[in-house]
Order: sequence, then C-alpha cells, then structure tokens
Amino acid sequence: MISSAATSAFALPTSLLASAGAAGGLPGSIPGGIALVLLLSAALFAIGLIGFLVRRNMILMFLCTELMFQAAALAMVAFGRLHMDVSGQVFVIFILTVAAAEAALALGLVVLLYRRRETLNAEAWSELRE
Amino acid sequence: MAPLLLYATCAVGAVGLYLILRPGAKSIRMAGVLIGLAAAIALGLGLLKTAAGTITPFDSTTAPTGSDGPSTLFTGLFCLIAVASAVRMITHRRPVYVALYFVLVVVSSAGLFLLLQAEFMAFALVIVYAGAILITYLFVLMLAQQAESEDDLRALAEYDRVPREPATAVVVGLIMVAVLSDALFGLGADGQPRPGGPRGQVLAAEASAAEWRLLDQIPRSRDAAVRALVPDYREVVLTDNRAITVRGGTAFVTIVDGEGVTRDVALPPSAAPTNTEQVGLALVAEFPVSLELAGVILTMAMFGAVVLARRQAELGEDQRREAAGLRRLTVDGPDGADRSDGSDGWGDESALLDDSRSTRRPRG
Repeated sequence: MISSAATSAFALPTSLLASAGAAGGLPGSIPGGIALVLLLSAALFAIGLIGFLVRRNMILMFLCTELMFQAAALAMVAFGRLHMDVSGQVFVIFILTVAAAEAALALGLVVLLYRRRETLNAEAWSELRE
Repeated sequence: MAPLLLYATCAVGAVGLYLILRPGAKSIRMAGVLIGLAAAIALGLGLLKTAAGTITPFDSTTAPTGSDGPSTLFTGLFCLIAVASAVRMITHRRPVYVALYFVLVVVSSAGLFLLLQAEFMAFALVIVYAGAILITYLFVLMLAQQAESEDDLRALAEYDRVPREPATAVVVGLIMVAVLSDALFGLGADGQPRPGGPRGQVLAAEASAAEWRLLDQIPRSRDAAVRALVPDYREVVLTDNRAITVRGGTAFVTIVDGEGVTRDVALPPSAAPTNTEQVGLALVAEFPVSLELAGVILTMAMFGAVVLARRQAELGEDQRREAAGLRRLTVDGPDGADRSDGSDGWGDESALLDDSRSTRRPRG
C-alpha cells in the first residue's frame, strides 16, 4: 500500500517530464543504462566547481578539485562500460596516480604557506607582496 | 523541449543550492535543502522515463533501455547519496567534516563502479582515494587548524563559515551542468541524437566474446582451465595464435587430447578472465609506456614533497664560524693542513671588528 501510494506520488512529476519528452526521451540517446551515471558525473563536477569558487580555506579548495577528479573518473568508467572496453578503467588508474601526486605537492605547498601567514585563508595571499 | 526542461530542473536545483550556501537563517537553508532534493529526484525520475511508458522506481529489474544496464534502484540510490554528500561537503563549516563527507562521496562512487562491472576500480578507489589521499588531507587539516571549542561557533575561522560570492559560483555551476548535459545527451534541434554523440549499444553476448578472447593472451590461465577439464590433454591447437572460439555464448578450445583426438572442449563460465585480470592485462599489454610514466610522475611527486618539506640544516659550530669568516675551532686550517703550532690560515681575530669582513682572505 505504501509503495503504491509512493508510486502514485512519483507519477506526477514523471508524467510531467514524460509528456514533454521527445520520442526516445533523454535516456534513449545513451544506451547501456549509464545515463544516470553520466548526469551524476556532470552534477558532481559542477558541485566541485561551485565548491572551489566558494570556499576560502586553501585545503578545502583542493578537496573540491579532488571532487572534480572523482566526477571525471565516474564518466570514464561509465563510457568504458558502454563500449565494453576496459581502457576506461585503466585511464582511471592514471587519474588516481595524478590525483595522488597533485594532492601530495599541493598539501606541501599549503603547509608552507600556512607557516608564513598562520592562516589558511586564500585571500591572505590576494596581494602578491610581502 | 526536453533539454529545456532539463535545464529548468537544474536551475531549480541551483536555486536550492544557493539558498543552502548563503549564510542565513536555518529555515532558509532547510527550504534550500528541500528544493534541491525535489529537483534532484525529479531529475532522476525524468531521466528514467523511456518512450515506452513510465517505469516504477521501485522496480529494480527494469533497466532504462531494456538492455542489461545496472540496476536502476541501486544506481539512483548511490547517485542520491553522492550528490547529497557532495552538497554537504561544499557547505559544511568544519573542515574535517568536509573531508569525511568526501569519503562518503568516494564510497558511493565505488558502489557505482561495482554496478558498472568495474570491481577492481571500486576496490582501488576505496584503498587509494579514501584510504590514502583523504587520510593525507585529514592529517594536514588537523595540522593546520587552530583548535576550536565545540560550542562556540564564532571561534570557527571566518573563512570557513562565510562563502565567497555564492551567487556567481552557483550561476557558473548551473551553466556548467547545462553545457555538460547538453553535450552528453546530445539532442539536436529535431530531438534526435546528434551525429558524433555517444552511441553504440553493445550486446551482452558480444561483450563476453571479447572477454573470452582476452583469455588467449593469458595462455597459462587458458591451459590451466583446459587441464582442469581434460587432465591428460596433449596440446592446444592454435590458429593465428588464438585457440578460443566463441559460438553461441560458450567458449570452445580446440585441443588434442590424450588419445590423439582433435576435439573442442567447452570452457565453463568461471574460466573467463575477471575484471582485475582484464585491467592488469590492458595495463601491461596496451599501456606499458603510460604505466612507466605514471611511475615517473609518482617519483617526481615524492621528490617534490621531500624538497618542499626540507628544513634548514642545523650547521655545526665549525661551519657557522667558517660562514662568518672566523677562525675555526679545530686546528686544521682552511687548506686542510695540520697546523699544530696554533696558527691557522685565517689571520688573527682582531680583524673581526672591521667592516671589510667580506674581503677577508686566508692569510698565512
């Protein structure tokens, strides 16, 4: 009973979007059932971008770039699944490598900057003078 | 019409995100959460609609396009967890919680990888990303934060509490999602997929054939599988270095068995190479140079980290006096000769007081 009620509650927005959809709709253009994963990848990338622009803590800005890496890795694995090619996953390994190297160096730089000004605020460095 | 509706839903979600971001009353933030959640669910459900009719979201067996795509319910669940954790990640005030929510994003991402039949990547992601990179971030966060008390929220650093230009950032993010989804779903003016967009539905039978043929490149596994079936086989018959043929979804190997009869042996499905073996084979067989370059990148990162973390070396007393132009405390002069008569190569110390120290040269 609950599931039928919930289903009918979901039916309204679904039918709304269905009636406005073209033949085949949005997921029809992407086979393999990966449309949702690709949309998630786009959404995660945009959220990471927003977080990078909004945050002022230097470490958290780098953490948002790691979120963007994650979104790219998701898209690669999804497309690898679409074409049944394992190269997508192999490239994700390389992305992981680059992300790890970048995280190590970025955090080293952030720690050095923190030692100079005793703050993690990125805006403390907005003027390039001593 | 459909892309416009997609953008409209994204815009509603962006408004919800903006309401969460801006430093305001808790009720405004709650309203933002509800709006964003509604937009996300509507987006997901609208995406699940196929031309044939609506599918019920609780039916986990119906994939969106009727092929053997990942289970819809679990995909939607993991997507929702990932988006919610990501939003919480960019809005939380305490930095350590931000890193912990990122761990949740990584774990839900690993779940999605499992649904996409990438088991090795799922494990590798959890081990490397959540287990190594994020731990490093947590260490540095705890190192570089001033201690704050639990209750006094004003003691939290101001640069963590107040976001910087949330409206502009949300608009930029909305444009990014619109552009990306347009490129991904690729509908042209007539509602048909643009040429060059993602296409190419691969049937499950074809896919397994490609996987079986990979087994030819791991001859030891292939021979072990054959030996398990026919222990006294003599040799495997190779044509063009390939022994495995796939007929009707089953893989056959042509062998010469113990009695000298050439026949085909059907391999059980458990002999197919696993995802880990496929990834390993691809890494070594197709991308060896990239593998080596990845090692070089990691070595560079290690060197860089060591150089960045290097402190000024503690000089001994002798080196410090030498750098200042003073006489060394030991009897060895600057030219290394043993001067046991007490004289050194530097002259006497009374010249310390004059300012032309830089012009001092060893005398004597």
